[in-house]
Amino acid sequence: MSFTLGFRGALTRMRKKNTARAAAIAVLFLAFVTIFADLLASPLPVLCNYHQQLWVLPNVTHPKELDGLSCDDIQKAGHVYLTPVTCHGPLDEAPAEALLPPMAPGHMLGTDAVGRDVFARTVHGTRTTLSFAVLSTFVFVMVGLFLGAFTGFFGGTLDAIVTRAVETMSSFPTLVLAIGVQAMVPRPTVSTLFMAIVLSRWAEVTKLTRAEVRLAKSSDFALAAKALGATPLRVLLNHVFPNARTAAIVSATFGLGSVMLAEASLTFLRAGHDNSVASWGEMLSEVRDNPTAWWMLIFPGALLIIAVLSFNVLGEALRDALDPRTRSDKNTP
Amino acid sequence: MFAYAIRRVLWAIPTLFGISLVVFLLTTLIEVPPPADLGKVDPENVLAEEDRARARFVDLPRFFNTQPLDIHGRTDEILFHLVADDEQREVAAARLARLGGAALPFIMPQIDTMPAAAKSRVAVALAPVAVRMGQGDAVALRDPASAPIFWTRYWDEHSTDFTEPSVRRTVDRLIVRDSTQRETELSQVDTFALATVIEAMPRVTDLAALRRLMSVAARASGRGIVPDEGAPAAAFVRAEEDWRSWWFIHRSDYVAYDGATKVAASVTDTRYGRWMLGAVTSQLGLSTRDGVPINEKLIARAPVTFALTFIAMLASYLVAIPVGVLSAWRRGKAVDATFALLLLLVYSIPVFVLAQALSGLFARDNLLGLAVPILTLTAGGAAALSRHQRGSMAEVLSLDYVRTARAKGVSTFRVLVVHALRNAIVSTTTLAGLQFPLMLGSTFVVEEVFGIQGLGWETLRAIETHDAAWLVAVVLFSAVMTMLMLIASDLATSILDPRARDTALHSGEL
Repeated sequence: MSFTLGFRGALTRMRKKNTARAAAIAVLFLAFVTIFADLLASPLPVLCNYHQQLWVLPNVTHPKELDGLSCDDIQKAGHVYLTPVTCHGPLDEAPAEALLPPMAPGHMLGTDAVGRDVFARTVHGTRTTLSFAVLSTFVFVMVGLFLGAFTGFFGGTLDAIVTRAVETMSSFPTLVLAIGVQAMVPRPTVSTLFMAIVLSRWAEVTKLTRAEVRLAKSSDFALAAKALGATPLRVLLNHVFPNARTAAIVSATFGLGSVMLAEASLTFLRAGHDNSVASWGEMLSEVRDNPTAWWMLIFPGALLIIAVLSFNVLGEALRDALDPRTRSDKNTP
Repeated sequence: MFAYAIRRVLWAIPTLFGISLVVFLLTTLIEVPPPADLGKVDPENVLAEEDRARARFVDLPRFFNTQPLDIHGRTDEILFHLVADDEQREVAAARLARLGGAALPFIMPQIDTMPAAAKSRVAVALAPVAVRMGQGDAVALRDPASAPIFWTRYWDEHSTDFTEPSVRRTVDRLIVRDSTQRETELSQVDTFALATVIEAMPRVTDLAALRRLMSVAARASGRGIVPDEGAPAAAFVRAEEDWRSWWFIHRSDYVAYDGATKVAASVTDTRYGRWMLGAVTSQLGLSTRDGVPINEKLIARAPVTFALTFIAMLASYLVAIPVGVLSAWRRGKAVDATFALLLLLVYSIPVFVLAQALSGLFARDNLLGLAVPILTLTAGGAAALSRHQRGSMAEVLSLDYVRTARAKGVSTFRVLVVHALRNAIVSTTTLAGLQFPLMLGSTFVVEEVFGIQGLGWETLRAIETHDAAWLVAVVLFSAVMTMLMLIASDLATSILDPRARDTALHSGEL
């Protein structure tokens, strides 16, 4: 209840800022691309008739019967009613059409060194990067919130151990640790990357939450609740935790941007996942082999910058809106 | 001040332990290549497989060894299989041939009490050892009837040679002067001399003497590098490193533990213990990519990376502080807004995108070649720092003492720099500790894009070739460096801001 109220107030405050509004629109756009990636780029049509059978949304369901077919193949044996924006999958190679510049026929953003469509790869790369970032941020923020709240509130031996562990983990440069994990597992995949990111990030949120919880725990309202006979768990959940939550929400927003950045950096360094999925970082790394192919630098690069920028702006706006202590306009005379 | 410093440094000990534990657990992620399909059990294959496992200490338990094996334990185990004549006897015989002379003091006292058949099996198994020693007749040694007699006689004559002082004397003489006589004497005790010979290597400076020691060691152990006569000093360094790392793994094959070392061995003879000891004594092994010792590579690459990182950090402070002060002073004005927008944009550009774009624009083979990577690194760092500097400066500027100073008629410049900045700079300086690991990560990326041969460049080559030794070393090294930087920045803060120190001391955080 208090959550929704506090949040609604924050949203109202944020809506007044133009930059925050622009960032929110950019994030919604990325979410839209992520959700509807199959409608934007897929080798299969949206609606078609193939061998006297009507297929609805085969690009989403990927039925076995149409496996390996392209829009053109289906057109020959039936009829295509509605195609996606681009009739290419992110992994469809066409060596004959390698390194086409943008605005080439059939490839509006050009192709890469093995003839994969850059538009399709950018769109599906958005899906990979964003969903990866959302999932891993959720996990490490949850781990950090839980550990931080628990240890900060109850203290004791566990607190001492977790504090040392946090100290230890913050001694590892995030990127170096993630590279280490990715290079040492036998086969780097998306799931090992996920583990590497969570491993290198949980400590930061734990530290933050712990500090906030300790602060709120010694506040008058928490002491009053305790004096009124509230159980420790009730004090933690109803009085202390809501105050520590804002910090976690803000750091999750910043975290989304930084995880996207980390994922892209690692795949750029070819220490990310295998090539079974499209990703921005992998496209950017291909520019190293083909320095003249500027279109593989510009499009995913620009999207990455927009994504990171938006999450940073949003994070800052959220902090200003949710946390009165750090509101930046308080310093304005 | 000192109380704080000492406490801060002492608290680093558990952190160091934690770092070593995390890196150790990382090493357990490395895939062990599956054993080759042997078909029939060939003793040579079994031993080769065992060597591969031992090189990574996977034969040892992880954290605690209830039964650390030394030469004594190993010999007893071998004798058990030979006497029982079970299916492992061939492997046991091959193992015994390896252990060689060092095992004799533990075999000979027992051999007389054995049944005749077992006695000849043990004696025949020792035949390769006698061949290495240059003793006896090869045919007679393999004959079950005459072999035990040979060994009993040999032990009667030579048992006094198998003592540490006697071997040490011989080794000392061999170091001083080239002598075939001494070399023969050492080869007669076979692997028993290895401990003294190899442990003497580091204090020998004369290359010819070092070469004599290495050839004695190579004859006894049947492996290892002996550089040619007149080979460059670097070849000797390489060979010595090779002997040192081999001895680190195989010492317990040739040396008996006494009381105290046996107790210590239950901790040190574990995977974690061996790995940790290796890291502390900088025996990080050889790079599997090109066979260069990891130490040598670290010494060659680390200065490049750290120079880049520190120069970039310094440069970003030099940019960030004026920009931060300026935008805090003109806060809310056009200058502030412009800087804010610009910095947010620069801050959000991933370093590798910037590096990739800039590396395409500038040629690499002139002075710009070094300026552009530094510029790339500085951009990101400066953006983050100046945003922070603006915040802390704005906070200080709204304090009463600043207003008082202005009211007294102090010039704007003096108020900004002398009054306000002195206080506002503290928290920005503190950030150096947190900025360092980020900058180090960025340096790795920049090195790769611009082809600068530092730690990052080397690491990415190591990824391509699965060079685990290097990866472990680099993760450990950068974690320790980061920890030192964090301590340094905490100490710097405590000097600049005594309040922070007192808070830390009294809140129970330290």
